[in-house]
Amino acid sequence: MLASAGISGTIGRAFLLVGFIGAIFGAFAAVAGARRNDQQIIRLIPRFATLIFAAAVGAFAAMEYAMITRDFSLAYVQKVGSWSTPALYNFAAVWSALEGSILMWVLILAGYTMAVAIWVRKRMQDVIATWALGVMFIVCAFFFLVSFFPADPFALGPPGVLDGPGPNPLLQNHILVMFHPPILYLGYVGVTVPFAFAIAALITGRVGEGWLVATRRWSLFAWGFLTFGIALGSWWSYEVLGWSGVWAWDPVENASLLPWITGTAYIHSVLVQERRGMLRVWNISLLVATFSLTILGTFLTRSGVLNSVHAFSESGIGAWFLAMFAVVLVVSVGLIGWRGDKLRSPGVIDSPLSREAAFLANNVLFAIFAFVVLLGTVFPLIIEALQDRQIAVGAPFFDKLSMPIGLALLTLMAIAPVLPWRKASTETLRDRLFWPAWCGVAALVASLLLGSYGVAPLLTFTLGGVASGAALRQVVLATRRQGLRGLVGRANGGMIVHLGVILIAVSLGASNSFSKSQELSLVTNVEAQFSGHTFELRDVVEVRDDRSISVKALVLVDGKKIYAPAITKYTRIGMNVGTPSVRTSLTTDIYLTLEPPVRQDSNEARIKVFIKPMIMWLWIGTALMAIGTVLAAFPGRRRKPTEPTSAPVEVAKS
Amino acid sequence: MKSQNLVKIVSACVGVVVALLFLVLVVSEPDQDIVAKSPLLGQPAPSVASTTIDGEPFALERRKGSWVVLNFFNSTCVPCINEHDLLVEFAASELANANAAELYTIINDDSSDAVREFFTKNGGTWPKITDDNGTIAVAFGVARVPETWIIDPNGIVRLRITGELSAGLLTEQVNRLREEFVS
Amino acid sequence: MKTRRSIWLAMFLLVGVLLVFGASRSGGPLTQQDRIDAITLNLACPTCSGESIYVSRAPAAESIRSEVARQVASGLRTDDEIVSYIEQRFGGQVLLVPRASGVDSLVWALPVAALIFSAFLLFTAFSKWRTNKPTSPTLEDEQIVAQALKSQAESKSKRESQ
Repeated sequence: MLASAGISGTIGRAFLLVGFIGAIFGAFAAVAGARRNDQQIIRLIPRFATLIFAAAVGAFAAMEYAMITRDFSLAYVQKVGSWSTPALYNFAAVWSALEGSILMWVLILAGYTMAVAIWVRKRMQDVIATWALGVMFIVCAFFFLVSFFPADPFALGPPGVLDGPGPNPLLQNHILVMFHPPILYLGYVGVTVPFAFAIAALITGRVGEGWLVATRRWSLFAWGFLTFGIALGSWWSYEVLGWSGVWAWDPVENASLLPWITGTAYIHSVLVQERRGMLRVWNISLLVATFSLTILGTFLTRSGVLNSVHAFSESGIGAWFLAMFAVVLVVSVGLIGWRGDKLRSPGVIDSPLSREAAFLANNVLFAIFAFVVLLGTVFPLIIEALQDRQIAVGAPFFDKLSMPIGLALLTLMAIAPVLPWRKASTETLRDRLFWPAWCGVAALVASLLLGSYGVAPLLTFTLGGVASGAALRQVVLATRRQGLRGLVGRANGGMIVHLGVILIAVSLGASNSFSKSQELSLVTNVEAQFSGHTFELRDVVEVRDDRSISVKALVLVDGKKIYAPAITKYTRIGMNVGTPSVRTSLTTDIYLTLEPPVRQDSNEARIKVFIKPMIMWLWIGTALMAIGTVLAAFPGRRRKPTEPTSAPVEVAKS
Repeated sequence: MKSQNLVKIVSACVGVVVALLFLVLVVSEPDQDIVAKSPLLGQPAPSVASTTIDGEPFALERRKGSWVVLNFFNSTCVPCINEHDLLVEFAASELANANAAELYTIINDDSSDAVREFFTKNGGTWPKITDDNGTIAVAFGVARVPETWIIDPNGIVRLRITGELSAGLLTEQVNRLREEFVS
Repeated sequence: MKTRRSIWLAMFLLVGVLLVFGASRSGGPLTQQDRIDAITLNLACPTCSGESIYVSRAPAAESIRSEVARQVASGLRTDDEIVSYIEQRFGGQVLLVPRASGVDSLVWALPVAALIFSAFLLFTAFSKWRTNKPTSPTLEDEQIVAQALKSQAESKSKRESQ
């Protein structure tokens, strides 16, 4: 077997083995070192971390080498490699299917482990850091194992194969495939870090605030990348898939959204623990939920159970991830149960009209949101398992239920920034919300003037206006007090993130309710009209290259510029992919798709025109969220802890 | 303490739910039924009309009086390719029967040229019906290929087989239905 | 302030009126494309997991979309009848919104139940916290404090006198 193996396959496997052994030894070292507080053992930990990172880099490099050199002895390269795929897409083909994406997970996880090991170098006397690294090593070991057995990228394929089909055509026609998966994984995998520290805190019993404050930037980093990754995925869906939408509530999207929901709840709720030492069980539970949901999400999307519950008994990888999910949940919940008395907080929430209460309500709303998304995603699975019939739960269900939740969250976004801690009087609220409320009224009037209708979108615009007013008020007050420094720090950066969220909410409200579409049969040089715009077909051309035949319709929009929606046939796979063409502006997007059948050099073509309002605001909102996250990572004005329980916990002396 | 109990109860619930999920998934077996359900079974077949790849007209209504077997086909789908020889055998064996069943291929999301080429290479002289826009597929509720449908001389749908045919299955089922029909 | 309060009242009234006005407005008559979109948004693509026929680019979805477009253009059937037509051929799996009957209704009932339950929990938690307000010092507490202050003052004067 080894004689005919591609050299990359053997090297890659060797690296994976080294990584696995390193992770196991690292885990042992961490656990043993922590229990005995043995500095000699603890000193070994960063070395193991570097070892597994080097092994992961080696394995990933071996995979890329095999892909770039088109080493078709490997089954994975036979599956997604091809001589006719351009170099860039071929590089990205490594993460276009299961085995390669697990390899990327291993790489990023090992990277995080090494980064954490370097970060806690100076605090290695602190037992929490050691336990946290132990947890990370165990998770690494799991993924190395998965990459060795069920999802083996270096498995040999049948001999004598000289070329392959290449990756799925949808993954080789837009440059985003280079960015979206790695960025999403940086977030998805990154939640392991705060989770590891949470478990470490539970094990050591030091569930106070020290570890929370310390891991704040790690949580924010992971959350920021997860948010950006999800937004990039929406952009890709819009640009590539051709149905003119950004979010379809399909299981893969839901799998990435679920940890984002609990993660967002966590980064808000953790403020209450810092300030007043409360909501500890909530915070640990949210972290556990976020990490478990990444594992559950991978199980749901990779095991095939959602296509048919019977696929489970046929696939291998599903069982691994389900088992991991069960282990994570049982261990975490067990630990929470064991440390229950230490987690009880000394304080209570004094008044329902306080910032703590708002954050508690926030947690509850996000928890319900996560429950709704999870229920809708797994419900077909449950029904099929119980009653052996197929049902579908799709966008209408999720849209209908997330609308009231979204409106409630917008309301909280409007009120919470102006709520003081502990207790507020209605007079305070009335004073502080005065101008934000008028912003809401202005937004409502403006939207009505622009022709909006319908309760749900109008409420969205009104509440969005109030919430932006509240966020702007905070930022203006802070900059007035501190100049430019008023823009950085958790509170102010957070307000800018909120502004981004509001833009996204308003944009989604507008485009979901007020989009229009129409199919037009165009004849060359004859102008057609729709919704105040003109469309004229100029030509139908064909473009060939060695992997595809593309038929494009050249359409002149509003007499100004030519847009070319296309239908591309990928000859190696035999799949047709429609490519839309979009005219973007600040207020409206004109989205064109070409409908089959169409022939080159024909003088007619059928196109579908979508008029989508305010799509640009989605991306502006995303940019604001990214900027705000970066600003929030900077240290802001130092606060004196107002409660002794909020003070950082002292590092234990060895 | 009360909160300790609450935490224990929640942990127990979580454990039970996860265990149930495991049980459900591990125990569920793949569907063993050859015959698939359809709301159309026992109902008159949809009166679909189209043309063959040679341009001849085809209307299902006018085939009443004989048994009709419709096979939904695509030249790139692997199970379709696998079962093709079985269909050729079936067509040959029917020639010897007085009450022969008429076999038709309904092309599903494929070009006539590709289908013609496939049949030239692999044999099979029965009519291949085009289905632009997938009207026939939608009328029968066919989303995936291959599927084989058996319709009796009265135009009533009798059987639906989803997925690849196994050896002798089609002949067996058609013979069984023919006997039931006479009696 | 009274004027502030009345401004707030006026604001709420204004918003209410505008919302009612906006809710009763409509965006113009439904075109055929609107009808097609509304129907296809509620039908599931039979070969995908949970995507609607509006979204999916699969061939089965394209065929069903053409069929829906054809039926809408012919004007013979209502939206619900077209949905039933497709359901009669493909089975219940093409309904994207689970029916509100039988076991399927759980998918709607459970979230509502969760909402009500958590609202109830929040309410009871808040009222419990309110009744557990920290009490004011008792007579005994004050005596202890007075005693401690006295002994502190005594020891301080003792040290100063030394």
